[in-house]
Amino acid sequence: MSQHIAQTALDPAADDPSADDAGVAVAESDSAGTGVDGTADRSAEAAADSAVSAADAASANQTGEALLVREGDIAADYLERLLDILDYDGDIDLDVEGERAVVAVVGSNLRGLIGPGGATLDAVQELTRLAVALQTGVRSRLMLDVGGYRAQRRTELTDVGRRAAEAVRDSGSKQKLAPMNPFERKVVHDAVAAVDGVFSESEGEEPARCVVVLPQA
Amino acid sequence: MLEAALEHLVRGIVDNPDDVQVDLVTGRRGRTLEVRVHPDDLGKVIGRGGRTARALRQVMTGVGGRGLRVDVVDTDA
Repeated sequence: MSQHIAQTALDPAADDPSADDAGVAVAESDSAGTGVDGTADRSAEAAADSAVSAADAASANQTGEALLVREGDIAADYLERLLDILDYDGDIDLDVEGERAVVAVVGSNLRGLIGPGGATLDAVQELTRLAVALQTGVRSRLMLDVGGYRAQRRTELTDVGRRAAEAVRDSGSKQKLAPMNPFERKVVHDAVAAVDGVFSESEGEEPARCVVVLPQA
Repeated sequence: MLEAALEHLVRGIVDNPDDVQVDLVTGRRGRTLEVRVHPDDLGKVIGRGGRTARALRQVMTGVGGRGLRVDVVDTDA
């Protein structure tokens, strides 16, 4: 609805071939005084102003779930076209989990988009977030999965976290895990938090940052 | 196909998509995808600390194989 308003408000200025010329002519007419060109510019400016206020209203409406749904749609467009060009077979599932849009590319031959240790997947996610943010004007935290990589990794890491937590609880001595990316550490922290008598922290600098599991004092 | 993929990825993250141009150049050092964008979009394509350029390289290596280079060409120079 508000998008529609923004569109119609933009059209007159965009379709008016004289709009650009008017802008230049007025820059000159600052010294030459206002004439017919000045009038043309004022109407172009008015059209631009109403487009801006309509866009403001649109972004104000796009908070919470509506924004996350829109993020998913933009991401799906960006990724679908990429799959098309690469001639990869894949379907795109959209979801909203908590405060994030979740986008999953599902298919069989997607290894090229996952890469070693999910490095390519992280890169595609980064670019997709940028593409989304460019259109919404808001930084995106969307999560991308390809070929079930993150889902499987989540299962493995939950296991790693739970086992480390139980070992620390039983031995009373802290344990440092292998370096992980932010997504992986989050999964491990959650798994550790589910075990009584232990807690976890992250230490070190990316990309060597790792989770440390400690006994509760 | 690789040019088209990179062109699409870059067009989606810049303010001037129509100014994006990607060429595949084969030289002694192998294949290089040369990216040209509007001067105002250079920062967007490179990203803070080169983060975005690194992501573009990572994706293109992933789909195009090792040895595929991505160069962001500074058209002002």
